[in-house]
Amino acid sequence: MLELRNISKIFPGVKALDDVTLSFQTGEIHALMGENGAGKSTLIKIITGIYQADLGGIYLDGQQVEMKSYRDAVEHDISMVSQEIQIIPEASVAENIVLDRLDKYSRHGHVDWKMVRQEAAKYLEMVGLDISTDARTELLTAAQKQLIQIAKALSANAKYILLDEPTSSLTSYESGNLIRLVKKLKEEGVGIIFVSHKIEEVLELCDVVSVIRDGKYVGTRECQGLKRAEIVKMMIGREEANEHLGFLDVGDETVLEVKHAVAYGKTEDVSLALKKGEILGLYGLIGSGRTELARLIFGADKMDSGEIYVNGARAEIHSIRDAIEKYRIGYVSENRKEEGLILDFPVGTNISINIWHRILNRFRKIQTDKEKEIVDGMVQKMQIKTPSVQTHAQNLSGGNQQKVSIGKWLAADCDILIIDEPTVGVDVGAKKYIHDLIWKLAKEEGKSILLISSDMPEMVTLARRILVFKDHRIAGEICGLNQEEKSYEEVSQEIGRLMA
Amino acid sequence: MKKLFARSEVTVILAVLLLGLIFAVCSDSFLTSYNFFNMGRNAAVYMFIALGQAMVVIVGGMNLSLGYIGGLTVVAVGYALQEMQVPVFAAVSIGLLVGVLTGLVNGLVITLLKLNAFVVTLATSFVYTGLINGISKGFPYEGIPDSFTVIGRKGFLGIPYLLILAVIALALAGYVFKYTVLGRRYLATGGNIEAAKMSGVNTNRILIIANVASGVFASIAGILWISRTGSAQPSTGVDWMVISFAVAVIGGTLLKGGVFNAVGLFFAGILIVMVKNGLVMLNANVYFEQTYLGLILLLAVSLESIKQIISDRKLKQELKKGAAAVSPKEN
Repeated sequence: MLELRNISKIFPGVKALDDVTLSFQTGEIHALMGENGAGKSTLIKIITGIYQADLGGIYLDGQQVEMKSYRDAVEHDISMVSQEIQIIPEASVAENIVLDRLDKYSRHGHVDWKMVRQEAAKYLEMVGLDISTDARTELLTAAQKQLIQIAKALSANAKYILLDEPTSSLTSYESGNLIRLVKKLKEEGVGIIFVSHKIEEVLELCDVVSVIRDGKYVGTRECQGLKRAEIVKMMIGREEANEHLGFLDVGDETVLEVKHAVAYGKTEDVSLALKKGEILGLYGLIGSGRTELARLIFGADKMDSGEIYVNGARAEIHSIRDAIEKYRIGYVSENRKEEGLILDFPVGTNISINIWHRILNRFRKIQTDKEKEIVDGMVQKMQIKTPSVQTHAQNLSGGNQQKVSIGKWLAADCDILIIDEPTVGVDVGAKKYIHDLIWKLAKEEGKSILLISSDMPEMVTLARRILVFKDHRIAGEICGLNQEEKSYEEVSQEIGRLMA
Repeated sequence: MKKLFARSEVTVILAVLLLGLIFAVCSDSFLTSYNFFNMGRNAAVYMFIALGQAMVVIVGGMNLSLGYIGGLTVVAVGYALQEMQVPVFAAVSIGLLVGVLTGLVNGLVITLLKLNAFVVTLATSFVYTGLINGISKGFPYEGIPDSFTVIGRKGFLGIPYLLILAVIALALAGYVFKYTVLGRRYLATGGNIEAAKMSGVNTNRILIIANVASGVFASIAGILWISRTGSAQPSTGVDWMVISFAVAVIGGTLLKGGVFNAVGLFFAGILIVMVKNGLVMLNANVYFEQTYLGLILLLAVSLESIKQIISDRKLKQELKKGAAAVSPKEN
């Protein structure tokens, strides 16, 4: 039994985990759920020694264990499979599998490659991966890389394996294989800790599910007979409001039209039309072509063929600056911290970054009083909670950061907004606010919005037409959402059918 | 008060004042107008050298070839004046052209081949050194006309022309970064290159401009150095790399980029010159000079880190205290 007793973890400004007590058994698939920012990833990192708890301890079969690094966790038969424990792309499959125990396969400092290959082959077979032990890891698919990590965990004799969002980047076929493997491992007595966002998947696969919310442990339930709504209630702390925001006043004119967009390896023959005042949802897995399409429209990547029309006229978008200045297209990036904001810069600068060239006086000097006026106005309009416009963006909460990264496009008068995963890493309260905000932008200000999200409830709440992406193409469209109210179940089933 | 100390230039200004006081007390010749004039001239050249480094450090890069660009400029100008007998104006233009071209080479290789500034400028510093030795064969050019040395040796109201030039350059740079679109985009590129790109900034163009600016400031420093010493020494610039980082970093230019501080740079230039000058006045062993400078640079870079570590620790302690105070109530 792997126990966490009274774990607390504090980061500057936030209590990420607060007195969490939780235990995992071998031969069990134990789901760990919680919203973004609930403390799941911190908890995982503590279990695997990447972070150390400030208070509380980890106990293995009743014995307290000290874990100061991931290496220590592996020593204690705990392994993790995630995007974060990277495998070394240049190394061979065999090397990656035995990497952290290379000393056990060597004599006097010389690696016994024959033994390494034999060992690796054994575990590859165990996870059902039919590739050469000498294959270079960087050439493998995401699914194969995950299986290699599992093979690595098995070869380390792991008793507990953490799977962090294992199916999020896999096709349904690949997910099916993975799930079969997980079930087999359970039969063999391995304890699986399964971190996932997908409630349906958890209910189908797992034995028990534990939920944390705002850094606190909420409870553990048997999955047998458990209802989706109950898990949601545990996760968000209230009934899932089946809120219906109403209908949008979608105009007749098409503001953005994409015809047969092709970018090799990214999108294949994608066409869509966005009407004025509409929220058009782009739903699909990561890598299915949604963000890739957005980057083509925004001029961040080049199209190999295809055409884009803005307000009915052919748009020549050769650079991001073309998209912003000529066609007033704004892109709220899914990577707020990497691409959306300059975290070390003041809130004000982050908001005004797109308008400097528009507020010059006749000597081409930026008029700082005008800049301040626009920034102050935006802070007020978006209700950004910040001590001052001079405060650095990194000191704001996730929700307020997101308001800044949307606000900078509004300051630049963008009429077409591409909003990519707007509520990732945002807490529940701010999520609701951001949803209302996006809705108001379309409903009250007539902005036309392409909404990219893999959060199905978010899609159903906001989008009034949904395009489902699969394998770089549009697999189908769900329409009629702006004419009649459809239930969440109805829409999600329809999406599921298109994705299959 | 706390806010005042948080500003990075305040520490430097205090250091200048404190050190000045110590040297004034310990040495009779420190507080003379002659010594001040001399220090001003040296500090001015250091400010240009530091500006050269700051231009690339701001965008998260570096220029290890900076000193050799200065040296190559000195040799080119000396050669033009002595061997080709060109007028002063033409010689200065040739010198500046050297800065533009060398900076352009650095910038183009870094952006087009997507290479790290460290490797590229390390390699080009060898290229430029070879050119310096090949052209000059190691001999200095002494045929510098008197009209060339006015700027470097004379002054206005007791203030060296060199220092006036440096202040103008710093003020100009400060203005560009605060009030022009180019300057703002320049800083944004240094703050977060991905975010700048996604806001329509042509970051490759900025990186090239940065490297050219770095080269130009290095060549200005080279030209002024000839003007100051009255001869064109091929060995000019070999000690500039460390000085350029020292002055820029002590002056509040963050190595991670995104920040320019003209006032800080000004006082940091003075600080370094004062240390060098003061050591001589105090009869310290000048052979160890670089050790002192190195230690000061180390101290300057550590200061920010130490501040950060202390404030993080404090915050954590407070939060823990807070947690201990709150949790009993919850149970």
